[in-house]
Amino acid sequence: MACDRKDIVLKWCGKVCAIGSVLVLLSLYVFIAGESLPIWWDAGILPLLLGKEWQPLGESPQFGFFTMLVSTLWSSLGAMLIAAPLGICCGIFLAEYAPGWLSAVIRTVLHILTGIPSVVYGFLGASVIVPWYERVLGVPSGESLFCASLVLSIMVVPYIVSGTYAAFKAIPLTYREAGYVLGVSKLYITTRILTPLAGRSMVSAVTLAFGRAAGETMAVLMLAGNTLTLPLTWFSKGEPLSALIALEIGTAGIGSRQYQALFAAGLVLLLFVSSINFAIYYCNSRGRS
Amino acid sequence: MGRICLWGSGLVVIAILLVIIGLLVVRGGGVISWEFLTSTPKGLYLGMEGGIFPAIIGTVSLVAIATLTAAIPALLTAIYLVEYGKASPLAHVINFVIQAMIGIPSILIGLFGYACFVVTLGLGISLLSGGLTLAIMILPTLVVLMRDALQAVNDDYRLLGESLGVSRRYLLQKIILPVASPHLLSSILLAMGYAAGATAPIMVTAAVVMSRGSVSLLNPVMALPFHLYILFSQHISLERAYGTAVVLVLILLALNLFSLYLRNRYGKRVAFYD
Repeated sequence: MACDRKDIVLKWCGKVCAIGSVLVLLSLYVFIAGESLPIWWDAGILPLLLGKEWQPLGESPQFGFFTMLVSTLWSSLGAMLIAAPLGICCGIFLAEYAPGWLSAVIRTVLHILTGIPSVVYGFLGASVIVPWYERVLGVPSGESLFCASLVLSIMVVPYIVSGTYAAFKAIPLTYREAGYVLGVSKLYITTRILTPLAGRSMVSAVTLAFGRAAGETMAVLMLAGNTLTLPLTWFSKGEPLSALIALEIGTAGIGSRQYQALFAAGLVLLLFVSSINFAIYYCNSRGRS
Repeated sequence: MGRICLWGSGLVVIAILLVIIGLLVVRGGGVISWEFLTSTPKGLYLGMEGGIFPAIIGTVSLVAIATLTAAIPALLTAIYLVEYGKASPLAHVINFVIQAMIGIPSILIGLFGYACFVVTLGLGISLLSGGLTLAIMILPTLVVLMRDALQAVNDDYRLLGESLGVSRRYLLQKIILPVASPHLLSSILLAMGYAAGATAPIMVTAAVVMSRGSVSLLNPVMALPFHLYILFSQHISLERAYGTAVVLVLILLALNLFSLYLRNRYGKRVAFYD
């Protein structure tokens, strides 16, 4: 192909930008790891991860993430418990059952749902679901990991639906035709033939949604109750890692122990979410080859 | 039984959106007025009375800085990935990193922005810090959307160009970019919506409860999502929080639907969403 001087300039501009973008994004890891390095070194990895006390401002400050880690797991796994069945059903419905117009309507609805910012979800959850929860259960304050999960599940359902939908649409028509020829029902074809074929993609869609739920901040900040006690049940209050960072980073003195500990919490969350993403990427690229 | 579950799940999704919109309209619709949109927050606790004008201006400036900073590098990166570097090892690495970065929680982008812009570069809590942080947040999304927009252009154009012996740059400038432009614009609108709604990153890098005077790069700003958070969490005014939420959602809805329209109207394939 012909190549003039402007072409070479454009190519190199593109290359520089591409490498630059990657470097900027990688520096995110470097900064978060770098700012937290001193406290990992001094306090040790295990005491930080498994310590149950978080008292950044006491006589002898203590930094342990265990309580927040457990809160993060409760709220995001709980969200999956609600979102996975709903999202998978809805994805299958869109791909196999819904008439064309309804499918288009629901896809637009999902598009709009993904466009609503998390602070609005958190706000609506806290001003509608929490009072309702208080009335139903007769408890004085309804902020809890359960409420956080409920709202998180609405936020991540579109990802599960879109993953499931794409997986079912990718299955060749032949499988369905073979089923019809054998005279089995549509429900049988869907559940016994198509679902196993799409299983891998559905698992990766749910995992992706799990990663999103674990890192979500505003909704859990407004709904989970923000207490630093170890949450023993789904219905306890808790403070997930993301909420901890958002609440305290603004007031932590720059370079202080608390500041370093918050970056350490960020690093834990970053590695957790990244490992989920890498696992999905690895599975998808292996599945394709 | 199975059939009921499937239909039910579809209807639940529609119902969720209807409930959200209904709540916002019923509880927040009454607050919206010309005065609410164009005056500054007032009252014993700021925000109890008055409006949200500075927050609207703040959000618009944050989004403008983020988009202006991220769009050009993202476009050039996408051009490199699609037109020049196609199967090179470098392109594989870049695709991998960009893909992995999309899933990073926004609070961590905020944490990075705080460490990098606010502390290390000494920009302080400011419009510039917030805008740059948002730019980093939308960069990977923009690259992926723009890459897909360029890939969606029919390959015949590229073959034709090659057979006529014109350079890639000429082909891009005269054919591929014009054909892809609605799709590219749609990506930018989507990214703008993403930036406008983000709260966690600006909470630690740019936003304040009340800003006086004009908007300037090195001063903190008010922003709609943060204002909503403060109004609610400090128990200042539930009514005004609903009003703010309505304004925010309307802005995002307009951006998203226009983006969807552009993609469906001009795109070959029917768009799902991202």
